[in-house]
Amino acid sequence: MSGVRDRNASAWLLPNDGTRTNHRLRRDMRRFEDADEVDAVVVGCGAGGSVMLQRLARRGWHVVGFDAGPFWDPDTDWVSDEAGSHHLYWTEPRVISGSDPVPMGSNNSGRGVGGSMVHFAGYAPRLHPSDFRTLSQDGVGADWPIRYEALRPYYTEIEQELPVAGDFWPWGDPHPYPHRPHRVSGNGDVFMRGAAKLGITTKVGPVAIPNGRFGNRPHCIYRGFCLQGCKVNAKASPLITHVPDALAHGAEIRADCMVTRVEVDEHTGLATGVHYLKDGRRRFQRARIVIVAGYSIETPRLLLNSASKRFPEGLCNDFDQVGRYLMVQGAPQTAGRFDEEVRMYKAPPPEVVSEDFYETDPGKPYRRGFAIQNVSPLPITWAEHVAAQGHWGADLRERMSDYVHWACLGALCEFLSGADNRVTLSRQTDRNGLPVADFSYSQTDNDKMLMKAARGVMEEILHAAGADDVITIGRYAHLVGGARMAADERHGVVDSDCRTFAVRNLYIADGSVLPTQGSANPALTIMAVAARAADRLTG
Amino acid sequence: MAATRPDRFPGFDAASQWRHWDAATAGVVMKRLGPPPPIRYFTPDEQSTAVALCDRLLDLEPDCPVPVVAMIDSRLAEAETDGWRYEDMPEDGRAWSVSLAGLKSDAVERFRIPFAELDPPSQNSIIGAVRKLGSDAWHGLPADHVWSLWTRYACTAFYGHPFGWNEIGFPGPAYPSGYKNLGLDAREPREKADEGGA
Repeated sequence: MSGVRDRNASAWLLPNDGTRTNHRLRRDMRRFEDADEVDAVVVGCGAGGSVMLQRLARRGWHVVGFDAGPFWDPDTDWVSDEAGSHHLYWTEPRVISGSDPVPMGSNNSGRGVGGSMVHFAGYAPRLHPSDFRTLSQDGVGADWPIRYEALRPYYTEIEQELPVAGDFWPWGDPHPYPHRPHRVSGNGDVFMRGAAKLGITTKVGPVAIPNGRFGNRPHCIYRGFCLQGCKVNAKASPLITHVPDALAHGAEIRADCMVTRVEVDEHTGLATGVHYLKDGRRRFQRARIVIVAGYSIETPRLLLNSASKRFPEGLCNDFDQVGRYLMVQGAPQTAGRFDEEVRMYKAPPPEVVSEDFYETDPGKPYRRGFAIQNVSPLPITWAEHVAAQGHWGADLRERMSDYVHWACLGALCEFLSGADNRVTLSRQTDRNGLPVADFSYSQTDNDKMLMKAARGVMEEILHAAGADDVITIGRYAHLVGGARMAADERHGVVDSDCRTFAVRNLYIADGSVLPTQGSANPALTIMAVAARAADRLTG
Repeated sequence: MAATRPDRFPGFDAASQWRHWDAATAGVVMKRLGPPPPIRYFTPDEQSTAVALCDRLLDLEPDCPVPVVAMIDSRLAEAETDGWRYEDMPEDGRAWSVSLAGLKSDAVERFRIPFAELDPPSQNSIIGAVRKLGSDAWHGLPADHVWSLWTRYACTAFYGHPFGWNEIGFPGPAYPSGYKNLGLDAREPREKADEGGA
């Protein structure tokens, strides 16, 4: 794996003295003036934005990254506690609607430098080659304007940079991982035991936690609070995998700055910079290129809030594509009770995966499929599971006291994209007076069949492993789409290089460009897409 | 009255480990054991209804050390929401106020006594009726979304508190110590076996 440090030294730029933040690197960070026309501004410092910043800074570009949230210090800002981690999420108001509204917050939103990867579980699978052509192959979803092969080298690069640990992966495009798989806990044992009895293949990983030291990042301590921000610096997030190297190469990160509008010159038709709010003051940063990476809710919201005389319905929205084809995965969680103590809160929640059901099975009434993975809800989330079964009062308390005996699996069902699953602007405004996002979501029959099938398989696995009781909670996970990549401007917002069709120096480099989502956790793909876009942008 | 519950993890006290926690975490968690913040959002009338509601939702013992309603009030006063609301629900604070007024009016209508003054079985019957409505409207709000609001806030308060962890055998914070003994029936010295299960 020589070579990773040469192209991304982030892990070596972190302290090795038991603290987690290189304060000097941040203090000495290059700072640009608003009046400087920087080469690029990047709106949002999550999975896509941080990779963009690091790649562009490495090529000598003058870049500024904006984030609405803080520049985290894991030592002081994050806690090993569920209720105390509320500030990691985007908790500004949002409205959810449609026939199957999708709750936001802890589940699928980020805030601050590192984005939602700060509190993602850590699963980092690739998409399968079939995900790039679901329309031509299965008659559903959409075809990407690029093929899997175009992303393959970037998947490999990012897997080395995070890095990802896991067994050799037999599904999709078979490939190894740079780090060996982690030990598994009781929760993973149960999954593997049940699956083996049924002839279902399971593999350990792929998890974005190095197995062993990586640069100055220490070994994982298996404390189980991956979803609360990794205080150890073991689990990958852009805060430690890409931002340090970006800063070392002259990028500026402006945290606690909310970008409110992308400015486009009426005469040239080019983006000229971004309006943003810092400490309540309205400011404007000039830039030669604007790259939006605010994810599937805030990216469409920003474009819609950037309407102008030329773009009366919202920036890049000539063909009513902005905000549409937003996708979530159906993510039912099925738990089983065992006489043994499982204590699923121990070890990172991401452990074992099966992608045996990922591809379309011609024998089934539904198209596409699902993945099954370990999940391990902490007490508050577990209480939601139990309460969702209708338990309350003494009944709830009694069932909750059984916590250590439960193991949990989660499915990721590939819900298909729909034009009406979209972000629009609500009449409600935030404290800055900007209309908030209204996210409308409705399921299709195919989606519902997938949820049911996934639940059935998870129940079988847990029963086969010896569970005497199983419960399932219906839920969603992840977000992608909302400004998708397409062959032309009538079907999407950006081209295969993430450049918007409407404004030639405006790019989108986040999860909102994905035309399909597969049954994979999206972080790795978002980073790979951003890394490819950076290559295309810099030639 | 609250049911008597078997103590499945006798002597287990998650917070006794606080010296082994990092300072940021210890500060956040130990604060929950101190005096709760003053009530700022709920009116006294709402507060009395909320206390009765949470007592029933969580079957709280009279001497329960978890200040559930103060913790909920604190979140509402600071607008610490989950970051979303259903289109057919008002903002969380308003939704709490409206739903508490609903409970009060149901109680007066059915028993001619305010909700907070009712005996627990009568309170349970009013709460249970809301639960059974499913997605039907209740005082102008979809009952299932009201139920979700109540249980989300109440469970977050109770199971975010070390008292709630002790009852379920959860050791709480685990940094910087982490876990060494992974696997079925494997425990760390600080974990205690379940004595009342199976």
